[in-house]
Amino acid sequence: MIDFAGAVAGFAIMLGFLFLGLHVATALFLVSAIGAVAYLGMPTLLAFGNNTWGVLNDFILTAIPLFILLGEILMRSGVTERMYVALSDWLNRLPGGLLHTNIGASALFAAVSGSSVATAATIGTVALPAFRSRHYNERLVLGSIASGATLGILIPPSINLIIYGAMTNTSIGKLFAAGIIPGLTLAGLFMAIIAAACLLHPSWAGTGEEPASLRERLRRLGDLLPLVFIFGVVMGSIYFGWATPTEAASLGVIASLVLAAYYRHLSFSMLNAALESTVRITAMILFIILAAFYLNFIIGILGIPQAMTDFVAKVGATPMQTIFLLMVFYLILGCFLETLSMMIATIPVVVPVVVHLGFDPVWFGIFLVLMMEMALFTPPMGMNLYVVQGVRGGGPLRDVVIGTLPFLLVMVVFVFAIIAFPGIVLWLPGRMLG
Amino acid sequence: MDDNPIIRLARPLVRVGAVASGYGLLVLSFLVGFEVISRKLFDFSLQGVDEIGGYVLAVVVAFGLSFTLINRAHTRIDVVLGWLPKSFHPVLHFTAFASLGGFAVFMAWRAITTLGESIEYKSIASTPLQTPLWIPQSLWVLGLVIFAALSAALALHAGYLLIRRPADIAGQYGPRTVKDEIEEEYAVPARRPGAEPGDPVR
Repeated sequence: MIDFAGAVAGFAIMLGFLFLGLHVATALFLVSAIGAVAYLGMPTLLAFGNNTWGVLNDFILTAIPLFILLGEILMRSGVTERMYVALSDWLNRLPGGLLHTNIGASALFAAVSGSSVATAATIGTVALPAFRSRHYNERLVLGSIASGATLGILIPPSINLIIYGAMTNTSIGKLFAAGIIPGLTLAGLFMAIIAAACLLHPSWAGTGEEPASLRERLRRLGDLLPLVFIFGVVMGSIYFGWATPTEAASLGVIASLVLAAYYRHLSFSMLNAALESTVRITAMILFIILAAFYLNFIIGILGIPQAMTDFVAKVGATPMQTIFLLMVFYLILGCFLETLSMMIATIPVVVPVVVHLGFDPVWFGIFLVLMMEMALFTPPMGMNLYVVQGVRGGGPLRDVVIGTLPFLLVMVVFVFAIIAFPGIVLWLPGRMLG
Repeated sequence: MDDNPIIRLARPLVRVGAVASGYGLLVLSFLVGFEVISRKLFDFSLQGVDEIGGYVLAVVVAFGLSFTLINRAHTRIDVVLGWLPKSFHPVLHFTAFASLGGFAVFMAWRAITTLGESIEYKSIASTPLQTPLWIPQSLWVLGLVIFAALSAALALHAGYLLIRRPADIAGQYGPRTVKDEIEEEYAVPARRPGAEPGDPVR
């Protein structure tokens, strides 16, 4: 129906709308509407109502608000601060001391939350005062928070992976399982960087402190159990095939309510606030998604994925060349677009092409989320840089940027690793039941 | 916080709609939790819980769209906006809200048509529950109509500001800054040292 040039023109129009500052959902809808009216006629445009009902009336996407609610309830129950203290008790011993807690806490918080910006702001708020009084190297502190927080969208439950799964008909359970090993490996690599830096420059790790008594530390270790329990409930029920991701999210919400009651934070005002946040974030994400699904529908009828696949075949790009090209494409686009919008807007065109080239859709989902993570802390525009800078409240942004560079380097190396050894991603989901 | 008269006026109603639909979500998680446990342990299934889950999402989003709008939380890309001369900003903010208003009205119109077809053909969900579709769709349409009315009102107001007081438009219709987002994170009481549990969020 439409050739490569037409597809590129459509993409350029969409970028134009986005850059003029239209709401992302409006921009996606307008470009689909233009395509529908120009090539397909009014009935396709008028199908928007039925299309939207079909998208929203979807049990799979219902997992999104439920996972957000789970994270909101936990945050408002004071679990985050307890978790940070309990982790610091044990990670303090490593070279780099409290810095490791930033990574560990981000990874663990991510395991129940799934939003990078929330993770960066939360950990930053809890952690920064503690570091000031102990004279740590500020750049390393800022860098560890900004980069650690990106783990949030990779370690399940990840909202990004749910969206990817729903848009590409990929098993969300498998995507979740696929995110675990890369997420933990990256957390481990980030900690290794910190340890190496602090062994080379012991002064960066600040003035150490007496660890709390063993008894106190063991008591506080108990604060981690609820999080481990919730993660176990959610991932376990999916992994063993007892529950779908949406059902697992519901179990998680119930467990988090029990936890909130145990910590005596359960009240109507807390619930109202948690629900308000949940509804606001859900509508923000789903507004973009419903427009993107319509775009997906139009793109499909217009045969754009086919046109793109033909083009890639015609220029004779090898799968590897295509992946590297996509890496560059996402790094550049990530400087301008908010990461979630970027992912949602590009999935309909990009995924059919790479799947046609023989890449596993589960593997590509993880690759795409890694690209999002990089975009979140790549200068000059990475969102997490600004969030951490904002929480810090002063000093040059350059400190945050320089602090994140070693972590960025590790991430680039890691992306090459999963390209060379796809098994890092695909081994665990391959072992899954159900 | 609410300098915008329309948002100030609409906030109580919109907030009630959002919180009410949120409680729907909470009830849903208990239903689903019950279903999973009874299915696993007693081999007894409630039937149709997943269908209700879909309806709940549609309603949460329909009512949530307005709530997100009055919190200025619908995503806009502001990077390039920052590079353009300040004198362009009022027109661009107006354009964003005018097109959003158009989109929201179109969406509500098409949703009403969808509901009308469901009523006319007495459409029933092809599921064990056999829900008449007009029931969940009416709530969905109600949410979308509120969103359309609110967006249209904001578009008109933005147009009025553009003509009369262009200097005020950025404050009321500009995208949220990173600072806004961080303040939101700070607003969570359990994370603020010394805050009492259950402190009001704002």
